[in-house]
Amino acid sequence: MKVLVTGAGGFLGVQVVERLLAHGYSDIRCFLRDRGKAERLLALDESHRGPQLELCYGNLRLRADCARAVADVSLVVHLAAGLKGAPAELFADSVVASRNLLEALQARDNMPLKQTRVVLVSSFGVYGVVSLRRGARIDELTPLEDHPEMRDTYSHSKLRQEQLFWDYQKKAGFELVVLRPGVIYGPGGGAFSNRVGLQIGPVFFHLGGSNLLPLSFVVNCAEAIVQAAGHPGSAGQVYNVHDDDLPTASRYLREYKRHVKRMRSIRLPYFATKMLARSLEAYRRHSQGQLPGIITPYKAAAAWGGNKFDNAKLHALGWRQLVATQDAMAETFTYLRQQGAKQ
Amino acid sequence: MGLKIAIVGCGKIADAHVEEIGKIPSVQLCAVCDLEPIMAEQLAVRYGVPRWYSDVARMLDVEKPDVLHITTPPQSHLTLAKQAVAAGCHVFLEKPVALRHCDAEAIIDSVVAAGRKLTVNYWPRFDAPALELLRLYESGVLGAPVHVESYIGYDLQGEFGMAFKRDPEHWVHRLPGKLFQNVLDHVVNKITPFLEDEQPFIQSVGWRWDADAGEPVPGVLLDELRVIIRGAQVSAYATFCAHARPVGQTLRVYGTKNTAHVDFMARTVVLERQQTFPSALGRLFPPFLVAKDYLQQGLRNVNSFSHARFHFFDGMRRLLSEFYLSIEKDSPPPISYNEILRVSSIMERISEQVYPEVYV
Repeated sequence: MKVLVTGAGGFLGVQVVERLLAHGYSDIRCFLRDRGKAERLLALDESHRGPQLELCYGNLRLRADCARAVADVSLVVHLAAGLKGAPAELFADSVVASRNLLEALQARDNMPLKQTRVVLVSSFGVYGVVSLRRGARIDELTPLEDHPEMRDTYSHSKLRQEQLFWDYQKKAGFELVVLRPGVIYGPGGGAFSNRVGLQIGPVFFHLGGSNLLPLSFVVNCAEAIVQAAGHPGSAGQVYNVHDDDLPTASRYLREYKRHVKRMRSIRLPYFATKMLARSLEAYRRHSQGQLPGIITPYKAAAAWGGNKFDNAKLHALGWRQLVATQDAMAETFTYLRQQGAKQ
Repeated sequence: MGLKIAIVGCGKIADAHVEEIGKIPSVQLCAVCDLEPIMAEQLAVRYGVPRWYSDVARMLDVEKPDVLHITTPPQSHLTLAKQAVAAGCHVFLEKPVALRHCDAEAIIDSVVAAGRKLTVNYWPRFDAPALELLRLYESGVLGAPVHVESYIGYDLQGEFGMAFKRDPEHWVHRLPGKLFQNVLDHVVNKITPFLEDEQPFIQSVGWRWDADAGEPVPGVLLDELRVIIRGAQVSAYATFCAHARPVGQTLRVYGTKNTAHVDFMARTVVLERQQTFPSALGRLFPPFLVAKDYLQQGLRNVNSFSHARFHFFDGMRRLLSEFYLSIEKDSPPPISYNEILRVSSIMERISEQVYPEVYV
C-alpha cells in the first residue's frame, strides 16, 4: 500500500511518518513544499533500513503538483494546512490546496477514488463551543461552529476545509477519517497556545486560568492518526485527539516558568477577560478597526470559556498514549529551554 | 443611493479594500469576485459581502457596479480594466498598473475613450504625512525642490515575502521587474510630484544582498536596489532595501529654502530649517527645533488616534473618498493620468536596467 503524507516535513508530519514506519508501512511518499525541511525525513530514512521514503516536493496550490502527489496512492494522510499569515493565504493553503488534492484523487485513471482512504487532520477549532455552558464536555457529537467568521481565521479555514472533505466524500464515496486534535505540542513546536494566554508587548496575559488544556503531544497525536488511518472501523468517523491527564492552563504556565524561563504574567479571571473583550470590541467598532480584533467576546468565549474534553472514542479505537503527559511536558520544556539558550 | 462598488481579486490586499470601502458611508460594496470560488467565498463570508462570483463578466452583468476595484495580480490588469470600462465601470486599480508601460498606456487610453475614470492605489500619497509635506511644498516653505530621496524597506520574512518565497509559481516571479516591480510604485510615486520630466536620466543597480544564503526559489531574486534619477531641475535617489532594520518608509525633500523629512511609518514630518543665528548659536538651536517638531507631530498623532483617524490604510480611505467624489462630481480624478504614466515609465526603465535579459 502506497501512502501519501502531505505536510510531511512539518512539526507533526515528521512524527506521522515515523509512526507509519513503526506500524510497518514501508511505501511512503512524503510530500513537502519546503526543501529545507527534508533533513529530518532523510535521517528517518537512514535509520529505518528497508523501507524507502519517497520525497516529493511541490505546492498543493498547483494542480500539476497534486497530480504527481496522488499517483498510485491508496492511503492519503492530509496534514498540510496554512497555520499563520494573512487570511487569504490560510484559505489558499488549507482549502484551495485541499480541493486541488481531492480533485487530483478523483481524476486518476488507474485507481478509483472509492478504493482510497483519506485521513484528514482537522482541528478542535471547528467546534461551536461559544453557545455551550462553561465546563461543558466536548466530544465528537458537539455541534460545529455556526459563525466561523467570528472566530480566528485558522479555525474558520479548518472548518471550511473539513466541510469540503465531507462534501466530496458524499459525492465520491471514498473512505474518509477525520481527526480533530486539540493543542499539538512538543519539541519543535511553540511554547504557548492562545488557550493559555496572550503575549502583548513585554507582558504575558494569562487568560486560561484553571481551564483544562486539550494538549496532544506530537508523538501521541501522530500515533492516533496512524491508528485511525489503519483501523478498518474508522471510515466515516471523527475522532477527537488529546492526551489523558490534561493539565490546566495555570499548571502549564507554572511549570513553563519553573523549567524554561521566568517571565512576567498577569492573570485575568474569565469575568475580567469578558469585560475587557467587550470594551475592546466596543472600541474597535467605534474606531472602525483602529486596533485589531484580537480579543472579541466571541473569541474570548471560544478560547477561554473553559470546557472538558473526551477522548473515549479514540481509546475505543485502540489508541494508547505513548508518552505520558508529565514526560511529554518535561521533554517539551527541555527543548524550549535549549532553544532559549541558543538565542 | 450611492455608488455601487465591486471587487475582482480576493487575495491579501482585497481585505484592505473591503475595510476601507466600509468606512465610506456613501457607497456600498455589492459583490466580490475571484476566479477561484473558494477565495471569493471566504472574503464574502468574512466581511458579510452580499454576493460573490467566480466569473467577472457575470458579476458585471448582474451587479452593474459603478466602480470596479481590480485587486488581481498585474498580469490580468489590462484585460480586466478593458472589460470593466466596456461594462460602464470606473476603475480603481491596485498597483502596479500593468506588466509593461505600453499596457499602462493602453489601460488609460481605454478608460479615457470610454469616458470613465481611473485611479491607482498610491495610498501613502494620501496619508496625513504626505499631505502635510504637500502643504509645506505648496506654501513655499521648502522653496524650489532640488533633490528627493525616497526610501522603502521590505521584510522578506513578512506575510507576503514568505508567500512568494515559498511558491516558485507566485505571480511576483513572473513580473518583468520581479519583486521590485511590485513595490516600486510606492517609491517612485513619491518622487514624481517634484520631478516632472517625461524622460529623466536613470541609472539603476540591483543585486542579491546575501548571495550565499541559498536560493529560495528558482531563478534570480534580487532584493536590493538603488536608483539615481536626474531631471532638468530636480534629482532623486530611489532605494529599495530588504535587509536594513527597522523596515522603514521615508521621503526627504531638499528645497532651496528648507528640507523636509517624512517618516511614513512613524507618521512624522520634520522641517530642517536654514539657520538665521550666527556661528555657534546656529549649531546650538537645530536639535531643539527638530525636537519641538517631533513633539508636535507626536501630539498630533495622539489626537488622530483618539479621534479614530490613525488607521494603517487611512490614506487609502482618503484616496477612495476623493476618487468616488470625482466620479459623482465629474471632476478630475485625484491622481493625474500623466503622473500615473510617468511613474510607470520610470519603473519600466529601472526594470530594464536591472533585468536586461527579460527585455531583450
